Amino acid sequence: MRRAARERVETAALLAPSVVLLAVFVLLPLCIVAAYSFALRDPYGAVLPGFTFDNYAELFQGVYLLVFVNSFKLAAATTVLCLLIGYPVAYYIAFKAGRAAPALLLLLLIPFWINFLIRISAWVVLLGRGGLVNGALQASGLTDAPLGLLNTLGATLVGMVYAFLPLTVFPIYAALQPIDRRLLEAGADLGAGPAETFWRVTLPLSLPGVLAAALFVFVPSMGVFAIPVLLGGGKDIILGNLIVQLFLEFRNIPLGAAVSMLLLALSGLGILAYMRALRRVEAMR
Amino acid sequence: MTAPHPPGWATRTFVYGVSGWVTLLTYLFMLAPIVVLVAFAFNEGKSSVVWTGFSLDWFGKVWSNRHIARALNVSLIVAGASAAIATAIGALAAVAITRRQFPGRDLLGAALAAPLVLPEIVLAVALLVFMSFAGVTLGYTTMVIGHVLVSIPFATLIVRAAASSLDPRLENAAADLGANEWQTFRMVTLPQLMPAILTAFLLSATLSFDNLVMSTFTSGVGTTTLPLRIYSMLKLGITPEINALGAMMVAANVAILLLVMGRYLPLMLNSNRR
Amino acid sequence: MKTPRLALAVSAAALLAACPALAEDLRIFGWANEMPDEVLADFEAETGIAVTFDTFDSNESMIAKLDAGGSGYDLVNPSQYAVQILINRGKIVELDHAKIDTYDKIGASFKEVSYDPGNKYSIPYVWGTTGLAYNKTCVDEPITSWKSLFDEKYKGRVYMLDNMLAAYIAGLQVNGFDANTTDPAEIEKATETLIAQKAMLAGYNSTNFADLVSSGEACIVESWSSSVLQAIETNPDVVYVLPEEGGTMWIDGYAILADAPNPEAAYKFLSYILRPEVAAKTTTLTKTATVVTESKALLPAEIANNSAVFPDEATIAKADFILDLGDAMKLYQDGWTKVKAAQ
Repeated sequence: MRRAARERVETAALLAPSVVLLAVFVLLPLCIVAAYSFALRDPYGAVLPGFTFDNYAELFQGVYLLVFVNSFKLAAATTVLCLLIGYPVAYYIAFKAGRAAPALLLLLLIPFWINFLIRISAWVVLLGRGGLVNGALQASGLTDAPLGLLNTLGATLVGMVYAFLPLTVFPIYAALQPIDRRLLEAGADLGAGPAETFWRVTLPLSLPGVLAAALFVFVPSMGVFAIPVLLGGGKDIILGNLIVQLFLEFRNIPLGAAVSMLLLALSGLGILAYMRALRRVEAMR
Repeated sequence: MTAPHPPGWATRTFVYGVSGWVTLLTYLFMLAPIVVLVAFAFNEGKSSVVWTGFSLDWFGKVWSNRHIARALNVSLIVAGASAAIATAIGALAAVAITRRQFPGRDLLGAALAAPLVLPEIVLAVALLVFMSFAGVTLGYTTMVIGHVLVSIPFATLIVRAAASSLDPRLENAAADLGANEWQTFRMVTLPQLMPAILTAFLLSATLSFDNLVMSTFTSGVGTTTLPLRIYSMLKLGITPEINALGAMMVAANVAILLLVMGRYLPLMLNSNRR
Repeated sequence: MKTPRLALAVSAAALLAACPALAEDLRIFGWANEMPDEVLADFEAETGIAVTFDTFDSNESMIAKLDAGGSGYDLVNPSQYAVQILINRGKIVELDHAKIDTYDKIGASFKEVSYDPGNKYSIPYVWGTTGLAYNKTCVDEPITSWKSLFDEKYKGRVYMLDNMLAAYIAGLQVNGFDANTTDPAEIEKATETLIAQKAMLAGYNSTNFADLVSSGEACIVESWSSSVLQAIETNPDVVYVLPEEGGTMWIDGYAILADAPNPEAAYKFLSYILRPEVAAKTTTLTKTATVVTESKALLPAEIANNSAVFPDEATIAKADFILDLGDAMKLYQDGWTKVKAAQ
């Protein structure tokens, strides 16, 4: 009896900090944002008490829908590119690299050790008219004059992939690494072709990692704001830029709160989709 | 059983070929900008594009820039404090989740991982709104709390992974040898979790050190972090001063890595191999 | 066991270091690149007051930060229209001119500014203009008008400032409107002009635009005088001009916050920076014009005679002066969102 009671107290003590943290600094603030999204404002940006659906009504006007579509497209493109590049890399590290695997994983983290903005500014320099990429293109005779590579969707995507690729490689690697090599050999022994082994054994077993990677890339990439500004020329604003603009420039807290709520809902949908897909994948096994 | 061809042959020829090339190109893509960046830190001229000669002046400039020194100080304080708090809270929760039965265990596990899949900007905005609602002055406190939120999912997941892979027989053995629960935890469990806790601390500190989004919203008086300072330095153009700062960060990180992680990482990776 | 304990000790030490120092402190929230480090260091050396200087990059983000839970700053560095907003919101207090012993150094015309007559709430400090900068190597004509920013000839080589009010200066003036307009139809027309312009723009940039025009990545950029003039120093090919349509003039000043923890130190700072030799130093290093009349004689000739730093009276008379737009702000905001979201 006393032991059980003591354990309960201990468990409570272990949990208290995290529960308090989440309740006070995540849940409560999100509730306030939710409440503000129905509030009114004065022209100088103070939030006035009241209840209105106007903020949400405003969101469903053409302008804001465009921003949502932009963000969705950019996030989807980033996710697909990261998966297409990240999968083979994770595959190589897991199955082929052998003893070099830890070193390769660490190397992938190197860019993370340099400030994010410095990394992005390195790309601004590389992609500029006088930069190395244009230099190489001209030297190889592929182009005569420098190309305007900067401030294009391509440049934004380069920056996005650069920022998020490691986040794809790690979960996929984590899913591939424990796959029993004997399973693959067995597949080959049973006469399965290499492609068949990959499609029927390796890929299905690694799908949970792929799904996690997709989630890790898709959700945060909708909230990014510096990359579209520095590499994309600030021409295609996404949700991240919109939230910064509404909160820090326009002082339109209610509208900003409504955008945040919608972004939160989108992320929730993303997580739901992830969990459903994960269940289906696990049922397949 | 005799194989008609060497094991793994099929996969190797088909996928390894492709994956090898993609990997090579990816590493070029990831590392080339950094090589260029570091190289131009030693450029004599003010350009980050045209090489004019070797010089160490830019490092001196970074070193004597009062704003950078201050911002570095702020970043280190925030990174140290937030990583320590995130790791402590995360480790406690991780131990509880893996070792104890309590109602809402799955929910808490999911909630602690939630900041990982909630857009950071929404968390940041919510925190800012909350702080101004509560009348808290923006500063170290708000920023450390913000950074803890960003890193706690990683800290918890890392320690959780390690705690769930611990061999319970070791703890049972300790108990059999007469150790009480606290002694068992301190002498057996904790040392085994240490590599994970340290990794969690380092990763949390790294995330905090590099954070821009949360810092943008939670910074206050005298708490301009290095990333915020760099953002305002970029206004005057990308000079080799920025490159020099980047080069110093690479050097510092490699040093930390060799000193600390070199010791623990192989342990971690090996323990995963089971 | 050793390493984590070390980590804990380091964090504890860090937390202690985070506590406010005991020496006298002054906390300033100011524009990036408009207050030289040398001036701050000299002030610290002379007075023993430790200065914390945090920077912002737009008046709007500055106001937002001041709004979000007690600011904690002593001095803030708003532009003219932001002074009006801060007064309206009760964020800044009336100044006691007797405590600024160098107050009379301010030029007469800067004492009667329309946004704050008699400098009741704010001390003007530096001023400059919003115009355009171009790189001589990639244009074959002298650029004199906002129209060049809308010229298809420069497609893909033009940047606008990524700042609502700044972008509307060009959008309004190119249509012949006042940059201070509150007329919905005029704002609407300017919005259309800016949306139409978007297809030919390289981008919106208020971060490294000076670098972009200096490196030749951009041919023409809309710009604030000071940033570009700092870049020109290293590149003689960059030219800054006020467009014939007028452009705008801005004044960045200093005001004491209502909740300033240390207003006395703030007054000391104001007295210090208005000294002619200090103001001259600021102008020399930041390429912003000074409001201190006597300072002009102390400036190096290439700055005192530089018409980009000190435009002549006629040019200034033509420039607009952006003031608080009140309720019309919402029209600008809606328009700007449309511009930024347009494909």
